[in-house]
Amino acid sequence: MSAYRKRLDLWKGDGKLHQMEILKIEKVGINFGGLVALKGINFFVKEGEIVGLIGPNGSGKTTFFNLITGIYQPTSGNMFFNGEKITGLSPCEINERGIARTFQNTRLFWSLSTLDNVLLGMHRWESYSWFVSMFGRNYTEKKLRENIEESITLLNYFSKELVDKMYQKVKDLSQADKKRVEICRALASRPKLLLLDEPSAGMNPEETTELMDDIRKIKIKKPDLNIILIEHDMRVIKGSTQRVIVFNHGIKIFDGTFEKASNNKEVIEAYLGGEI
Amino acid sequence: MDNPDTRSNYSQRLYKKIGYFLIIIVTEVIIFYMFINFLSLKGIDYKLFLFVLPIIAFFVLQRYQKIINFVKESHSQCNSFSIIFMILLLIFIPFLFKDNPYLLHICIMCGLYLITALGLNIQLGSTGMVNFAFAAFFGVGAYTSALLAVNFHFSFWLGILAAIIISALFGLLIGSLTLKSTGFYYALVTMAFQIIFHLLVNNLRFTGGSGGISNIPFPTIGKYSFSSSLNIFGINLPYQANYYYLVLAIALFSLYLAKRLYNSRTGLVWNAIREDEIAAKCQGISVNKGKLEASAIGAIFGGMAGAIYAHYISFISPESFTFHFSVVLICIVILGGLDNILGVAIGAVLLTVIPEKIRFFAEARMLFYGIIIIAVLIFKPQGLVPERIRKYNFLNFKKDSI
Repeated sequence: MSAYRKRLDLWKGDGKLHQMEILKIEKVGINFGGLVALKGINFFVKEGEIVGLIGPNGSGKTTFFNLITGIYQPTSGNMFFNGEKITGLSPCEINERGIARTFQNTRLFWSLSTLDNVLLGMHRWESYSWFVSMFGRNYTEKKLRENIEESITLLNYFSKELVDKMYQKVKDLSQADKKRVEICRALASRPKLLLLDEPSAGMNPEETTELMDDIRKIKIKKPDLNIILIEHDMRVIKGSTQRVIVFNHGIKIFDGTFEKASNNKEVIEAYLGGEI
Repeated sequence: MDNPDTRSNYSQRLYKKIGYFLIIIVTEVIIFYMFINFLSLKGIDYKLFLFVLPIIAFFVLQRYQKIINFVKESHSQCNSFSIIFMILLLIFIPFLFKDNPYLLHICIMCGLYLITALGLNIQLGSTGMVNFAFAAFFGVGAYTSALLAVNFHFSFWLGILAAIIISALFGLLIGSLTLKSTGFYYALVTMAFQIIFHLLVNNLRFTGGSGGISNIPFPTIGKYSFSSSLNIFGINLPYQANYYYLVLAIALFSLYLAKRLYNSRTGLVWNAIREDEIAAKCQGISVNKGKLEASAIGAIFGGMAGAIYAHYISFISPESFTFHFSVVLICIVILGGLDNILGVAIGAVLLTVIPEKIRFFAEARMLFYGIIIIAVLIFKPQGLVPERIRKYNFLNFKKDSI
């Protein structure tokens, strides 16, 4: 089905489309009133890639994520995912196309349990209606069982302790566990593109190392998953990404490998301040 | 099978089961007895003592967690037995109050408040929509069935169906107009709707203005009218018993539906919307759809209760559907426990019975009402029965298999 659809999309495409590019951003910009938050961003993610997105505070990284997931609508430019135009779609339609994200300031369903959070992540594969919930056969046991088993597998990617905490309210978990549950919730929708917004925020160095291992493990288990990673911890970027994009003042200033980025004059200026 | 081990196991299980049944019977009879005593309380007399004693006993027992756990376990293990036994006790109530229709009237009102509060719980508890217009939903149901019955001679049963449909549409209307507003703003907008509704029914000609609608016919089944006294096994029960059984049946059905909704995917999605709308959207949950469903389904419960109320009292006026009633309903849900069906049931019963029982304070009645609510919220800020975490242990899946 999806292969057929992909081919169909290729035919429909404007000819410039390459099968390798899963996400393609063309000259995207957004203004908030007079403030130009992002300007003329050109960007692509190849299939199976992990891309790091870095830049100083306020350079527009999270705004960029909000644009991709449809929380903000771009004022100019176009976005394509899997050959399909996603500009102007609502967040929930974009998730149905296969993009999932986490948030910088961890937005979980706080008073629900860990398991419920992950189950809610699977929403795009669920068919439900209020009528069936009230009068029909109840949220069939078989489906629920499958979902729970899948959730436990996902939680197990990270740690066994997380499985033991599956009936705890997520607001009682530690900061690192909250971040992990959020990644699990995003993975539960079986996305093609995963957007991670500062996953290591609030983690100590050991937990950050664990997180890097976890990302690598997930990548091994799901080889066709694409990840865009916003991070301030350069160890994580160095350890887990293949390509780095650098933003500064809403403009993309660099695109290439981490080694090149760390020697690039413009990037160093953006981080450390240039000569006056 | 003849292995002595399994046999002793079997008899052990049997003893345990009998123990569960006994515990269930004892606890439910005590609760029932307390409820009956509380209902038939007249002023401050020795019966108050009978009511307070078990509560003190309960707090003393809190120290012995083993006993509490065993009681909880027996109720969760033999769930269906505990429900059936409670229903049997409830069916018995009209026989106890056959000389006292007033107490039966309070029981009916408990049931009606319960159905309405279940509807509000869907919006306030599950979806997090602080709806101050719920009395309007109740009123829409009441006015629909009353107007149809008085002007077009609709039967009660058709009227209740019409009330369900019209109140669902009304819920959709209010829901679609308030889709964009959340939190405080939603509360404010619904308050405005409540006031508009009250003003409209007070001033429109076809709703009878401030005089309301009187002489709403009694429901009938075939030739049997609900206004005649009920005769069961040669015992004459007052005519309220008809309504009591009707309300009991509908309340139990509503409880069943509310429980199903809570356990279904729909309930989970509603909770997600309550917790974080943006996160829900990014997980592919359609927030607008969820909110509209919650307003419409909640309104159905309210409208149904309203229709029964209109036919039972046989007179309605705008004064029955004021802002005050909305606030009382919100109190029921918050006091009982948000998003907990058992809590809502307890809250509905308490907040219906308590105002009736403190009538002897006359003018200071509402003061005591307020004090009780404040006291509960100080000592139990999460409500009497706090929200629980969904457990899927009925599946007995293997945790270590993966």
